[in-house]
Amino acid sequence: MNNPVLQIENLTKTYTLGKNPVNALTNLNLQVNRGEFIAIMGPSGSGKTTLLNVIGCIDKPTSGKVHLDNIDVTNTPENKLYKIRQDKMGFIFQSFNLLPYLNARENVELPLENKIKNKTERKKRASELLGLVGLSGRENHRPQRLSQGEQQRVAIARALANEPAIILADEPTGNLYSQNKQEIIKLLANLNLTRGTTIIMVTHDIQVANHTERMLLLKDGKIVTEKAGLHIAKKQSKCPHCNSSIKISDETCPTCKKALFETDEFFTT
Amino acid sequence: MLTKVCSGFSCQVNMQVLYMGIVNRAVRNISRRKIRASLVIIALSISLSIMISIPAGLMANQEAANDMANNLSSTITETGESITQALSQIDVTMSSRFAGYGFSPDATPTIIQGGQIPRDGQVLNPSNAPGFGDRYGGFRGGEISGQFGGALQASTPMNQELYSDISNINGVAAMLPSLEASDGSQEQTLEMMGRSFTTQIIDYTIKGIPLTSELLSSYNILPSNIVAGRNLRADETGVVLLSQNNSAFFSAKVGDTITIFDTDFIVVGIYEPSASTDNLILYMNLSDAQTITNNTGYITSLKIFTTSSEVVNTVVEEIRSLHPEVTVITGQERLNQLEYMQSRYNEAIESSQASIAATQATALQEIIVVVAATSLIVLFVMLYTVRERTKEIGTLKAIGFSNRAVMAQFILEGLLLSTIAGIIGVAIASFAAPTLSSLLLPSVQSSLGFTLSATGPIVAATTNPVTLSVELVLATLGGAMLLGVLGTLYPSWRAAKIRPAEAMRYE
Ligand SMILES: Nc1ncnc2c1ncn2[C@@H]1O[C@H](COP(=O)(O)OP(=O)(O)OP(=O)(O)O)[C@@H](O)[C@H]1O
Ligand SMILES: [Mg+2]
Repeated sequence: MNNPVLQIENLTKTYTLGKNPVNALTNLNLQVNRGEFIAIMGPSGSGKTTLLNVIGCIDKPTSGKVHLDNIDVTNTPENKLYKIRQDKMGFIFQSFNLLPYLNARENVELPLENKIKNKTERKKRASELLGLVGLSGRENHRPQRLSQGEQQRVAIARALANEPAIILADEPTGNLYSQNKQEIIKLLANLNLTRGTTIIMVTHDIQVANHTERMLLLKDGKIVTEKAGLHIAKKQSKCPHCNSSIKISDETCPTCKKALFETDEFFTT
Repeated sequence: MLTKVCSGFSCQVNMQVLYMGIVNRAVRNISRRKIRASLVIIALSISLSIMISIPAGLMANQEAANDMANNLSSTITETGESITQALSQIDVTMSSRFAGYGFSPDATPTIIQGGQIPRDGQVLNPSNAPGFGDRYGGFRGGEISGQFGGALQASTPMNQELYSDISNINGVAAMLPSLEASDGSQEQTLEMMGRSFTTQIIDYTIKGIPLTSELLSSYNILPSNIVAGRNLRADETGVVLLSQNNSAFFSAKVGDTITIFDTDFIVVGIYEPSASTDNLILYMNLSDAQTITNNTGYITSLKIFTTSSEVVNTVVEEIRSLHPEVTVITGQERLNQLEYMQSRYNEAIESSQASIAATQATALQEIIVVVAATSLIVLFVMLYTVRERTKEIGTLKAIGFSNRAVMAQFILEGLLLSTIAGIIGVAIASFAAPTLSSLLLPSVQSSLGFTLSATGPIVAATTNPVTLSVELVLATLGGAMLLGVLGTLYPSWRAAKIRPAEAMRYE
């Protein structure tokens, strides 16, 4: 796996609010390989959204390099960046950001408008994607007629539509209740597993983060800790302490009652 | 989005797909906010209907002015020609002074009947003339001053007997006594120089002339251009020669019987007038005219044919000394009057042109205001829409929409709104344009309402109706679309400039 889909070197992003510069990201380095599922955690204001925005080419770094699929996006002018977003990025937002006046299928069709010219084909592809996220038969429903979880699934289908190199999800479960939360995270994990989609997800929720292979803790614009997450257990379904079988959602081993993961680090602010 | 390389057919397909998606979203967005869209469309369509009504009114005014100018110049030319042909003729009519009609500076509307040429500042104030009722076709008027100059219709009766001595004057070849009377059924109120007064609309004027073989053989006393039937013959009675206008008014053909002043006449012929001022005149025997109007022995004018134009002045001297009570006008004098009239007409035309120029200036200002209002409505509504949809715009850009695509989306929405409004505006204007333009434009008609014809009657100029030409409708629709695009340019540029990262923070 010497084929990194994303390489970030010495990334710094400074906002200037009045006289005081705010360092949202400082000298950040990160390499993401194809097919990875990464969770970014960290206290509020630590720069998580800023990092995603820079990766997603909707914000420009102050200094440093970002390579996407070996393209240096920091040197790409604005009038070409949209093309990179169109071809390589899939965005999932905390508040779904579906267009309220378009139905589920039309929302999914949006990123396909330039890729599939044939209208019937495009419709068919959008319906397939909706089937993939378990929304067959809901194609003609507008967002307000869908539950929050269903809306986020439409958004995931939309993010998948252009077959992006990376899916960027900023707190995709932030607005959801636990049942929906579980559905969404399983869907993402499944897509990562079965389709090999690279996913970078910001989350505050350790249960959600535990579904990923790699958890990054961001603090004051720097990656301070990097941990392998639940992936071992995901593959083995066994408690690392007593070898008894565990469930994916378990935080402590049901048998030995030991904490399965050291989570406290991630929540010290 | 628009930069895709394409060629031939595949390019068309690309454009169409792009187009449909964008149009679909534009339509949905507009219909999403129904009340707002309706209000905007109402406001825009009202301003657009005003926009189309102003030039429509302006064009109608201009046409009315042109019509008037054309009428005037052709009337003057025709009259001038007929006078020149008759330089050896003298017209004798009763002077109103001697008929007991005094001048009064502050006359109230009454019937004016007289052969007097009013001079500047003078007012005719006739009292009742014996034997003359409304039927006798005078004009009701307030202050018909000499502003426009010109002769009013001569209709004061004179006793024919008293003037037989004129035939003995040396140089007089023949005399043509005639009696004219008009009939009209309707009245109309007209504005002139800021005052209103009432005139009777004349339906027809009868002209009785003696049909003696002597006169008929020597002089052109009857119209020459007969278009149906035949001309009047010597000593005929109970028959009339109609103008084409008369024929239409009575809906009578040759051979029909018509009733004039309660008496039946047979139509023997129809003529085409050589001058527009003769349009209403029907000819009959003088004795018939005198009988039916109850004026046996009376005439309203006496035309004198002299042996040559050289003797005209001496003959006039003699007539004046014999009959100081009459007005004597020679062809030369008529020409002089015509010149005076022409200068008056020119002044009237100039003042109407000035009035039109002023109207154009007003119209221009109004159009600027309306255009500004229209584009400002679009501007503010679209700015608001862009602001309201910041997050949507950010989302679209994040998922790969180009700045151009975002701009095109909003421009199309503005275009759609203004096009719908344009169509409704034209529909409103199609019935409201006359009202709107009369509300918005100072009336030019008031100073253009009249022309005076050389031979007498006041002729009301036709005021052209305000109509929407195809060109104007197309221009307005085009203008509406242009304003829609212009008004949306800045808002959609703002939309394109929205940075997705910031838009996402915006709730
Ligand atoms: N447009 C901006 N202008 C100025 N400062 C900004 C801007 N965007 C972000 N910041 C600042 O940069 C820092 C990082 O912000 P960011 O949104 O990346 O944090 P976050 O980790 O996503 O926080 P949260 O968990 O609350 O979403 C914060 O201090 C924030 O105030
Ligand atoms: Mg954030």
